[in-house]
Amino acid sequence: MSMPYFAEEIPGKRVIMLGNEAIARGILEAGVVIGAGYPGTPSSEILDTLAKMKPYYPHLNIEWSINEKVGFEVAYGGSMSNARSVALMKHVGLNVASDAFMTACYAGARGGMVVVSADDPNCFSSQNEQDNRYFGLHALIPVFEPSTAQEAKDLIKYAFEFSEEHHTIVLFRTTTRLNHGRGDVMLGEIQNIDRPYGFDWDRARWVCLPSHSRVLRTKLLERFEKISNLADEFPFNSLKLSSEKINGIRYGFIAAGIPYAQLIDTLIDFGLENKVSILKLGMVIPPPKKLIRKLLSSVDKILVVEELEPIIENILKQLAYENKLVNEVEIHGKDYFPQQGEFSGEIYLEKVANFIGIKFEKNSIPDIKISLPPRLPVLCPGCSHRSTFYAITLLEKELKLKFINSSDIGCYTLAVYKPLECVDTEICMGGSIGLANGFAKIHSTENPILAILGDSTFFHSGVPALINAVYNQNNILVVILDNRSTSMTGFQDNPGTGIKITKEPGTRVVIEELVRGCGVPSENIWVEDSNNLNKMVEKLREAVKSQGVRVFISRHLCSLLEEREFRLKQIQIPVVKVDPSKCKGCLICVNQFGCPALSFDSEEKKTNIDQEICRGCKVCISVCQYDAIYEEIN
Amino acid sequence: MVIQINKGLENWIIEKKRFSVLNVGVGGQGIIRTTQILAWAALMDGYQVRTAETHGMAQRGGSVSAYLRFGPEVASPLIPKGYVDIILAFEISEALRVFNFSGPNTYFFVNNKIIIPPMVNQMGFKYPSNENLCQQLKNLLNNIYFFDADKLALKAGTSKALNVVMLGILLGSDKLPIKEDSLQHSILRFIPKKSQEVNRIAFQLGIEKGKSIRRELL
Ligand SMILES: Cc1ncc(C[n+]2csc(CCOP(=O)(O)OP(=O)(O)O)c2C)c(N)n1
Repeated sequence: MSMPYFAEEIPGKRVIMLGNEAIARGILEAGVVIGAGYPGTPSSEILDTLAKMKPYYPHLNIEWSINEKVGFEVAYGGSMSNARSVALMKHVGLNVASDAFMTACYAGARGGMVVVSADDPNCFSSQNEQDNRYFGLHALIPVFEPSTAQEAKDLIKYAFEFSEEHHTIVLFRTTTRLNHGRGDVMLGEIQNIDRPYGFDWDRARWVCLPSHSRVLRTKLLERFEKISNLADEFPFNSLKLSSEKINGIRYGFIAAGIPYAQLIDTLIDFGLENKVSILKLGMVIPPPKKLIRKLLSSVDKILVVEELEPIIENILKQLAYENKLVNEVEIHGKDYFPQQGEFSGEIYLEKVANFIGIKFEKNSIPDIKISLPPRLPVLCPGCSHRSTFYAITLLEKELKLKFINSSDIGCYTLAVYKPLECVDTEICMGGSIGLANGFAKIHSTENPILAILGDSTFFHSGVPALINAVYNQNNILVVILDNRSTSMTGFQDNPGTGIKITKEPGTRVVIEELVRGCGVPSENIWVEDSNNLNKMVEKLREAVKSQGVRVFISRHLCSLLEEREFRLKQIQIPVVKVDPSKCKGCLICVNQFGCPALSFDSEEKKTNIDQEICRGCKVCISVCQYDAIYEEIN
Repeated sequence: MVIQINKGLENWIIEKKRFSVLNVGVGGQGIIRTTQILAWAALMDGYQVRTAETHGMAQRGGSVSAYLRFGPEVASPLIPKGYVDIILAFEISEALRVFNFSGPNTYFFVNNKIIIPPMVNQMGFKYPSNENLCQQLKNLLNNIYFFDADKLALKAGTSKALNVVMLGILLGSDKLPIKEDSLQHSILRFIPKKSQEVNRIAFQLGIEKGKSIRRELL
């Protein structure tokens, strides 16, 4: 195989890169040694790309860690050992890592240490849209934010140097459109860091007990102050002043990240790019005070263009007060732009026009309401999760009990939709078991409490909550949907598969053994093939009716991976068909099981199987009560 | 930077400084790949390029859209409603979902194929028919063209060549300011050796279809 374009050693070559590839490239160019993280959209492709670079750059020592906290700690261990290190995660991952992160920021970095947080305004694929720039203010470390793929590569490369020079951890914040957008990038030099790595036994720094932490805190404040003073010279910050007036008023703008890029194009559209002052931030925290003061005293009205929280806007207002400029300059932000979601292209046109008082007529055709049902993502044909959820719905009906299905984050969350409607809660990873512990304290056996979560999620943060249930004797049934993959985020391996990110063999952690080790007695542990529906129902019935902490492991390879495996091994996918003479048109398979490969011919009143998308899981054969679905053997 | 522009579109692109394409369809149809191919082709023509894409849920059958902008000077990927030059829709209902991105100068190319989302009926919705969607779109828009690209892909030899047919149509229509050479090179970049012949045919079939659309335009 030829070397992928993002790994080539040809400085100056221009290529198209996904934002996440550009970040990976910057990490490579910076001579980083340790990379660790946990998958999460929109960040996952960064480590995936580093894994593809690894064969050509064996010094890269990367891993998918068990969760973001451990991933952060792995990277930080690297930094303590003088190696450039990076921790990668989505925005909510930093919540998980924050315990380590908040105190590590006191001790700071030895080898350059960068934490990448991929934020997700608009919740494209997240449970919330928190603004992680706050973490910089919270932990007193600098936050860098790139506005293009090129800048992402250059800025993260620089971040490691900066981190080492100032002994600070750097938070590198991106948003979805940067991560999942492509841009032209010029490849740079791949640095060779030639220095010994190893731990230094500096206990006064690395042992954060109170007497040390007080000292470290003083140093942290000094460090942040110093960085704050340097912000004015930061190479990725720039102030472009214009003394031009528009209708007698001088206008200024501040922006960073994708909003900066979008703002620039908008100003160009209006022919205003040289008629207004613009402060571009590459380091958003701490802000460059002198540049801001200069801007405040050079214009009459400023618009801060930032998605989500008014962080820069509030800082600006504070600085205006401190500089006694409150009466000289108007500061705007959230009175123009929303505090929620992503700003669309037309919002920029509209708000900038509004702000400057120019006439702007929408170009688009009238926005007529169209009625078109949504195209929601669904569980794939042949998805083993569907089979497990279907078994649960059958049991609920049979036992005439209302289950509380405390669930979690993964592909299986899609079972919230019709027809399965088997997901009652989803807050955060691992939350299914934690919440179930609480429900168990309120509800009696009238409402069996199920905690339903995936294999990767169980390893990520389900384990402590399971131990909690054992210890405190909270009566719950944990259902682990073990599809041998972290599917939702792109099929990453996990301890249950025992394969490492490099595809080399690691040590497999067997879920049933782990569960036993958590104190769940053997008679309370079941392991079944998810796609054997009849057996699933029988054994799940047993599990639901038993008492105590129980764990039911429903195991079957993710159908997308199974299809790949079949193709690779040239195994014929089973052909499943409907015998129209036996199909009664009861619609149970279509309306209650709901595999996308099944449809109903309303004229013939028979079920059809779409052979194009059927993956031959054969579960619908058991779903049909009239033996009308069969496997064709030839 | 040397600006290379073909086919008499100079005024258009220089005045606008950038050219915008919106690709839409359903997960699995190759929307992201198509966008990637266009991005590399634009790079070969010497332009700055930006895209923004839907990732993640794509394989779960959801709606997928991808923005592409290129030109001598472009900073950001998102296209304001009303300012798209070309909308390339791989599926007809997905075309309707983004109709309001088009403005007076937008050309709308629609693969006349409907993919009914699974479970819509069970959710209590009724999905409109192909004809109905076609009519709605025609009522709303002027520069809109329908064709059956899936059929052309099959004719070339594989349904998987759908995106290459679509690219051919775009090129043949003469509305895309990218050189044929660059596009062809870029396509080859993403096609495994063994499928190159099929895709070459698919590309030609697409170009011919595009040319017939172009005659309609004149
Ligand atoms: C703290 C945190 N980290 C990462 C994610 C992103 N994420 C969503 S689902 C998921 C993985 C789910 O894998 P698994 O539990 O095995 O279920 P599957 O998708 O395979 O069904 C991840 C990593 C998240 N939402 N929150």
